[in-house]
Amino acid sequence: MTDKLTGYWNEDKKAGIRTHVAVLSLNAFCTETVDRVADSVRGVTPLTHEFGRNEIGLNKQRLESSLLKTALNPNVHSVLVVGYEPKSVEEYVAAFRKTSKKRIESVVVSDAGTLAAIHDGSRKALGLVILASEARREPIQMSDLVFGLKCGGSDTTSGVASNPAVGVATDYIVEHGGTAIFSETTEIIGAEHILAKRAINASVAKRIYAVAKANEDLAMSYGVDLVGTNPVPDNIKGGLSTIEEKSLGAILKAGTSKIMGVLDYEEPAPGKGVYFMDSPSAAQAVLTALAAAGCQIILFSTGTGNPVGTAVAPVVKVTANPRTVKNLGDHIDVDISSVLTGDATLREAGKKVIEAVTAIVNGKSTRNEALNHLEFAPLPGGL
Amino acid sequence: MRSKGARTSSKRCLILRPGDSVALALEDLKAGDLTEFGSLKVRIVESVNFGHKFAVKDIKEGEDVLKHGDVIGRATKDIKVGSHVHIHNIRSLRAGAK
Repeated sequence: MTDKLTGYWNEDKKAGIRTHVAVLSLNAFCTETVDRVADSVRGVTPLTHEFGRNEIGLNKQRLESSLLKTALNPNVHSVLVVGYEPKSVEEYVAAFRKTSKKRIESVVVSDAGTLAAIHDGSRKALGLVILASEARREPIQMSDLVFGLKCGGSDTTSGVASNPAVGVATDYIVEHGGTAIFSETTEIIGAEHILAKRAINASVAKRIYAVAKANEDLAMSYGVDLVGTNPVPDNIKGGLSTIEEKSLGAILKAGTSKIMGVLDYEEPAPGKGVYFMDSPSAAQAVLTALAAAGCQIILFSTGTGNPVGTAVAPVVKVTANPRTVKNLGDHIDVDISSVLTGDATLREAGKKVIEAVTAIVNGKSTRNEALNHLEFAPLPGGL
Repeated sequence: MRSKGARTSSKRCLILRPGDSVALALEDLKAGDLTEFGSLKVRIVESVNFGHKFAVKDIKEGEDVLKHGDVIGRATKDIKVGSHVHIHNIRSLRAGAK
């Protein structure tokens, strides 16, 4: 990669590669306000969901984590938080200010109703959008970036081409001082022994086995047959037969370097190199969690294709399946199908991924960004 | 595909690692197609779609099935060389799968 990387240095001394003005709802019934603000002010990024009342335990923790940490992502320039009543809004703003010096504004819908909140919120969003438009790109280094790694719509081409090609890119990122987080605990089942061998020390190896076992036990406690759940029907149609087969292919996206640690759900990486994050496996949930963990960009290897994206971090779709390039080409950023015809090596395909990443870091739009695939799924159920 | 240890054939298909009991079809294969991996010749006995697997040796019921140089499941019935290998004749060993 010869081109220089650029980004926006924010008040938290972190490099964003985008300047999102996030308009974030705290409750399901603030969605209307957020959507109308987004209609009125061009260039805001709405973040809405169906939750925010009466969650308890792990659900409450995960929801609060996603709502706060998504706003802390370096790609978010500033935040307008929209809540129903003052207490939750005050608590959110206090939690945000505790960790970030970025600009945050707020609107409380119960003050004077939805119409007034739309008016007030639009004015505040307008101010933030004008400010964000003044941000300028400056040089950044690979070591300023955290990459998310995800595979979705997997088929057997994922395991032989797109995951290994992303793995080549991951090795490059790590060699140049960067960080990468891969995830989806169900999809290390059957491949734990390989990851454990790559662990930086015995306690990381032990934790890899432990999170995989906990996930497997959870599946068993539901009496779930993983066939049809994971692999899902489109994986099976694509030729994947078992979770072990899927996992042995999936882990290849994490390259060959040491596994530096196992992170909790949405926990930021404490250092450089490759980390594994314990999480559910549904694409929209993993992408949300990776962005919440601070990933500025996500590499997404796909076999049968998948249009999914996420709101604050561009998602780079890589496929080696020529049929997917033909049928779902609108959603593909990097076509490496030449690997399967024998016309390119995995190393060449990995280089193509790195070149695409460089352009996207520097501002080129991904397909998910251009097509408004800005999914935000803060409260995942399932495995 | 030029990953380490992989062997290719005139019909586009691939044995990922030496010792694997299955190969991957990189084009649609039909009964009678001949696939070759060096000195190993495998006659396809039924349709195997792009991306699906076929046995490159006879696999006995209860035997581990190997791909990526590792165990991807266990045969639930005898699988003849050249046959399609998928959820109808192999099973996961994980998450309590029977």
